[in-house]
This record gives sequence, C-alpha cells and structure tokens, in this order.
Amino acid sequence: MDVDIERLRSIVGDENVSDRAFDLYVYSSDASVHQAKPDVVVRPGTTEEVQDIVRYANEKKIPIVPRGAGSGMSGHTVPIDGGIVLDMKRMDRIMDIKPEDVLVRVEAGVVNDDLNKALKPFGVFFPPTPSSGNICTIGGMIGTNASGNRAVKYGATRDSIMGMKVVMANGEALDLGSNTIVESAGYQLHRLIVGSEGTLGIVTEATLRLAPLPKFRMIGVVNFDRLEDAGNAISAIAASGVKPSMLELMDHVAIKAVNTALDMGLPDVEAIVMFECNGMAKDEVDRDMERVQEIFKEHNGSGIEVSDDPKEMARIYAGRKKLFPSLSRYKEGLVSTSLADDMAVPISQIAATIQKIHEIAENNGIIMSAYGHAGSGLIHTKILIDPSQQSQWDASAKAVDEVYKFIREVGGTTSGEHGIALSKAPAWKEEKADQLETMRAIKKALDPNNILNPHKLQDAPDDWVTATDLRYKVRG
Amino acid sequence: MEAKNLEKLENEMYVCIRCAYCFEECPVIRERGWDTDGARGKVMLSYGLMTGDLEATQEVADRLFQCTTCGDCMERCPSNVTVVDIIAAARADLVKAGFSSETHERVIQNVKDTGNIYGDTEGGIEGKEGDTPLFVGCQYQSRPNKTKKFIKILEKLGIDATISDEVCCGFPMEILGFVDDFDEHKERFKAAFPHGEAITMCPTCTVFLREGHDIEARHLLQAILEVLPQGDLGMKVTYHDPCDFSRGLKIIDEPREIIKRLGCELIEMESNKDGSACCGGGGGILMSDQELSDDISLYRIRQAVATGAEVLVTTCSTCETVLKKAAKTVAELGEDTITVRNIEDLIWKALK
Repeated sequence: MDVDIERLRSIVGDENVSDRAFDLYVYSSDASVHQAKPDVVVRPGTTEEVQDIVRYANEKKIPIVPRGAGSGMSGHTVPIDGGIVLDMKRMDRIMDIKPEDVLVRVEAGVVNDDLNKALKPFGVFFPPTPSSGNICTIGGMIGTNASGNRAVKYGATRDSIMGMKVVMANGEALDLGSNTIVESAGYQLHRLIVGSEGTLGIVTEATLRLAPLPKFRMIGVVNFDRLEDAGNAISAIAASGVKPSMLELMDHVAIKAVNTALDMGLPDVEAIVMFECNGMAKDEVDRDMERVQEIFKEHNGSGIEVSDDPKEMARIYAGRKKLFPSLSRYKEGLVSTSLADDMAVPISQIAATIQKIHEIAENNGIIMSAYGHAGSGLIHTKILIDPSQQSQWDASAKAVDEVYKFIREVGGTTSGEHGIALSKAPAWKEEKADQLETMRAIKKALDPNNILNPHKLQDAPDDWVTATDLRYKVRG
Repeated sequence: MEAKNLEKLENEMYVCIRCAYCFEECPVIRERGWDTDGARGKVMLSYGLMTGDLEATQEVADRLFQCTTCGDCMERCPSNVTVVDIIAAARADLVKAGFSSETHERVIQNVKDTGNIYGDTEGGIEGKEGDTPLFVGCQYQSRPNKTKKFIKILEKLGIDATISDEVCCGFPMEILGFVDDFDEHKERFKAAFPHGEAITMCPTCTVFLREGHDIEARHLLQAILEVLPQGDLGMKVTYHDPCDFSRGLKIIDEPREIIKRLGCELIEMESNKDGSACCGGGGGILMSDQELSDDISLYRIRQAVATGAEVLVTTCSTCETVLKKAAKTVAELGEDTITVRNIEDLIWKALK
C-alpha cells in the first residue's frame, strides 16, 4: 500500500512514525490468534493530530486501526487490510477530575489502573474492572465495552460513559454525550460508539462516571459437588435482591488445571464459587454476605470460608488468580488460545452451558475449561491445543461452532466483554443476522470509504481460521 | 540466522499469550513507548527470529539488547513466562550470527584476558584463609576500598572469610549472548573458586553462583543480619531493591530488617519489594545504551526523592553507581535530590 510516511511524520514528528520491519511485525498481532502487518505505525499525541491523520487516510482510502495496549483477544487491532495502526498510548492525560460531579475527563490512552490510582485520594473509582486493568486503556475499554469480575454489581463500560470526543472518518471531531447523569431523547451516539471496536470513529477523550470507593469488603469461597447446584445457587442470588460485587465460578477442568500445575490442593469438586460483597457500611456488607451464604447452603454448597482480612482474602482468591498460569502450563506442547472465550448466557443456563462445553470438547478431542464472572452470566473458556497441528485447528473450529450454536439456542450472546472483531465474527453474524444490514448501513453512513478498522464485526470474513495468517507456525 | 538457543524455548514463547500485562512497569516501554520495547514485543521479536519471519539485523539486535533484564515482566506475567531466558537465548543466537555491540565484546574480552569485567589486573582483594568462602565478584574486586570495609565489617561481626584468587562468575557472558565463551569459562571459574558453598557480596553473582555453578550461595547480608547488633543512626532512609535481590533471590525483608536494626526509619518508595522499579543498570544497557539507562535511573531517583528520605540505600553496587549519577543529574536540573549509599556504608557507620 502506498502510504506517504513523510506526510505522517510532518503531523506527529519523526519519532512517532515507524515503518521499520520489526515494529510492523510486533504491531501485526495482539492477544488473539491472528496476524496481519500494517504498513506504518503512528503514535499521535493530540486530537488534532488524529484528525489530520484521519483526513489524510480518508483522502487516500487507507485503512486506519486504533490500538491501545493491544490486549484484545479476538483480533480487534490486527490490521487485516494493512494501512495505519494508530497507537493511542501517548494520549494518556487525566484532564479533569471532578469529584463534586462524580466524573472525570481523560484521554483515550489512559490506563485503567493509573486512572483509579489518581482517583483514589478523592474517594471515587471508575467501576469497570477488567482483569487487564493494569495495562488496558480507556479507549480499548470503550471499543469493546469491557467489563470484568465486578460487572455483576457495577455493569460494563457503557454504563459508566457519559460522553466522549470522537474523530469521525472525515476528520471532524465530535463532542458526544453530556456531563449530566441523565440525558433524554436523541440518538445518544456516544452509546453507539461504545462497543463499535474502532469501526465508526476514533475516541480521543472520554467523560467517565465514577462511583464511591467502597469502605468495606469481604470475600468467600464455596464448593459444589454438582455443577448444577452451583448454577442454581447463582440464579437464586441474582433473584434475591442481594448485589454481590463478585461471583466467580471455576469448573472441574479449571480446578484440575490449578491443582496439576501448581499443586494448590483445591477440593476435587465439580465447581468452586468465589464471592465478594462490598459497601459503605460494615453491617450492610455483613448482611449481604450472610444472605449469600444462606443461599449457597440451601443449594448444597459446602466448605464455606469467608474473611475480611486482606491476607486471608488473597489466599481465598489465589485459586482463581492462579488459574491463568495453570491453563497456560496445563501440559507441555499445548497452548492456551482465546477462542469462544467470553460468551454470556441467561444466568439460569450457566450450569447447562458449562456441561455442554465439556461434552463438545470431549467429542472434538480438545481440552476446554470453563470459568468466569458467573454473576453476570459470563463464561470464559480457554481452548488448549497443539497449535502446530492443522487437525487441532479444525477440531477447535468445529467446537467453537458447536458451542456458539448452543449459546444461541439458550438465548445467550457471543461475547460478554471481550468483543467480536475477527475470531467471533462468524458466530456473532449468525446471532445478529437480522440486524447486519442495518449495521452495515450505519457503517456506510459514518465511514463511506471504509477506512476505520475495516473488515471487522459485521464485515469480517466468514471463516475466522483463514481470516488472517495465524500467529503460530502450523506444520502439519 | 540459526536459532538453536531460541528453538529450545519455542514452547515457552507459545506460553506467552501476548496479553501485555508485562507493560505495567517495564522500564523500557515506559521510557520509549513502542510496543516493540516491552517484554511482549521482545518475545515476539524472538519468535519472529526463530521462525524466520523476521530478518536478523543490527536494529533488531539493538532492540533485544535494550532490556535491563530486571525481570519485572516475569512478576507481572499471568502465565509465568521466563521472558529473560527468551531474551538471553535471542541474544545468544544474534551474537553467534555476528550481531553484538562493541562495548559488550570488550567486556567479554576483559573477562577472558583478566578474569574481571573491567579488565582490572591490579588493586584487587588479596587472598586469605578463613572459615567461610567469600565470593567477592568483579564489581567489588574493582572497588577495593569499599570491599575492604565490608570485609572488616564481617570481621567485626565474627565472620572470618576465605578469599580466593577468583575470576568473574561468567554471568555477563550468559546475559550478553556469549554462551559459547561461558562454556569455556566455567572450567576456569571452577578451578579458581573450588567451593560448594559461599557467601557473596553482589546480588547478581549470588543468583548466578546458584544457577550457573550449582554453588550454595548466600548473600552476606543474610549472614550479617544474624549477628548485627542494634544501632542508633536515627536516619530517615528509603530502600531500593536490586532486581536480583527482590525478584531473583526473594530477599526482601532482610535488608529492611537491617535498616531498622541500624536505628533508621524506613520510608518505602511508590514501587518497592518485588515490584520495585528498575535502576537502569542491568542487562548490559549501561554499556550499550547509556541514554536509556540514564532515563530509567532518573525515574527511579525521582521516586526516591518523593519519599522525603535523607538517604537512598541499596545493596547492589551497580544500582548504587547509576542511582548516584541520577541523583547528581536531578540536582543539576534544579530538582530536589537525595544522597545514595550502599548499605555497607550505613553498617560501617553504625558499628564505628
């Protein structure tokens, strides 16, 4: 692709443009299985620079892909058509903290945890808590409508976005939303931008709604001999009116992974649930914890442990925390891939979905674990495969299809928090079949030259395995 | 390029799921900003070199040498990827293919010629017989006054050290990519230091005596702590954890205990213990990329100044050197600064 590197340098400075082979190689992938090289990487420092870059790209019809930490698991920042990757991390100013209005204005490259560190002295925080909060940027969270293990109480990113500045495909910068808690009619375009994965505009600033930092917190853990009981207990909690701040489930494959890799001695049961309640008053937290425990006991939960001691809370949560490395090291030669990794189902369907996932994995000769933010109906899986074998990719593709078919049958959705991009697009397009043309019309209206993160979401290829090169060497 | 060393770590590179959690405190991506600069970027470059998707060039080699090997990435990695091993393997393959820096080559030649990274042939520590083998290490061999002070401290505390006519532990060969040279050097080391256990002065030597030579090595601060009497220095100090201490050896509490035993008030920096920010002196960048090393050390010294302490104490002579320079630089820039001392200075002062 013919990209005028000098023109880009004149906009952002020499030091913020690279077409060096090794930079293009690194920016060709993220945390997904996909790989495709950009022609150039550009690091803007201001909204005006983003506008100039977008105007140039639009004039020359060059694809432009915004990128934060590049931690997406479905290929959001993989430039499937080449072009410009826009690394937004230089735009990391926290511009205006307004505790009196319970809001903050930030640039898109601010890291979630850095923001919360800055907010802490004011007694407030930005509620979405993705596991990647230590590195993920606000822009990336908006792009994917990220949430995390406390979504059960606080909702997802969209629930905490009040407004934003967005550079549209023609280079115009729009101020969307408002600084008010309520806003009445109109299209409320900022809500449309959330979750649009950089396909409709490039977010450069955002106004975020904050919440008071809870003063008290307790964590607990409970074991279930039957997965179905765990699922029923979680449903009962959801219907009880109690709002735990976390309800995390680990299935028996996840438990085995932790015990095998790290010898943690977790009980040999079908499911473990970790739960947390928080609040501004201790008696309120105590009351919620008691009620949650009662419900677990009513559903045959056993071995309950609870604590508000920081060290004990860390010990209780250690099993969940160690799950990630355990899955990565489950067995020599198997890698942990993010495929079908964050579906959400109605809460009553959690147990049935996890059972179905195990059945599908076994039928296809692969290993799948299931865990996740059960309180919001979100199930994470990891598929463990030998990536050098084409047969393993074929089996994974078949398993992914079957899992998503089941998810649709029970009224679930393809992605609860990580987004769609490439890997999940085929399933998502089936789920949203009746809306695709409307979505394409919106895309066409806002980005007539199709320069903004093209060929993602509704326009992504129908086969995720061949959508791009895989980032692994497939040998046979 | 042949990638024999990287090929041994192919599975380890697959274990990296490219989540980027290693970005959090990586000193190089913090100072330079490109994804290529972070640990994930370096693992990707290594993978590209192994598969042949990325051509080996001096520029790629330079990026892989722009790492302090502080290991913060490995503390953050949710998959426990041994990033430093991967970077060391990439360096080994690149050096074999002819991509190394002149300054690194000079260091390795010094070790071959003199047994010391600085090429020092005079002024080292004289050998003596005692009860406990002491491995002095290049840094302290080349700072004899400082080292003699340390040895006197040991004597005062009743520890009688055996000092050998030692040579470099060989760690620079391993981390700078000269692994074939290390294979030869290992025998030379063993002949000069034929002990199965030792106390050591340098955190890095401590780690490498254990991992590279199977010697039961124990840092002398651990020995000192057992016998150090209560002092009354009354200073307000902050402590910088050297990476090989807090992350390599997991020696976190002992230096803090010593500081308190000396009668000092300890104020922690924003990042500390196994999450300590890097000083900027490790992994060879002090020799090959002075500017990057300086930038990293300035960040750390500003964290130290922000504590309001009178003295920044550390336990590694490389950290001490770069942080002293950084303290001077911030003073020259008109900013508040701080006095930097190695812990033996405080122990010496207290025992006097």
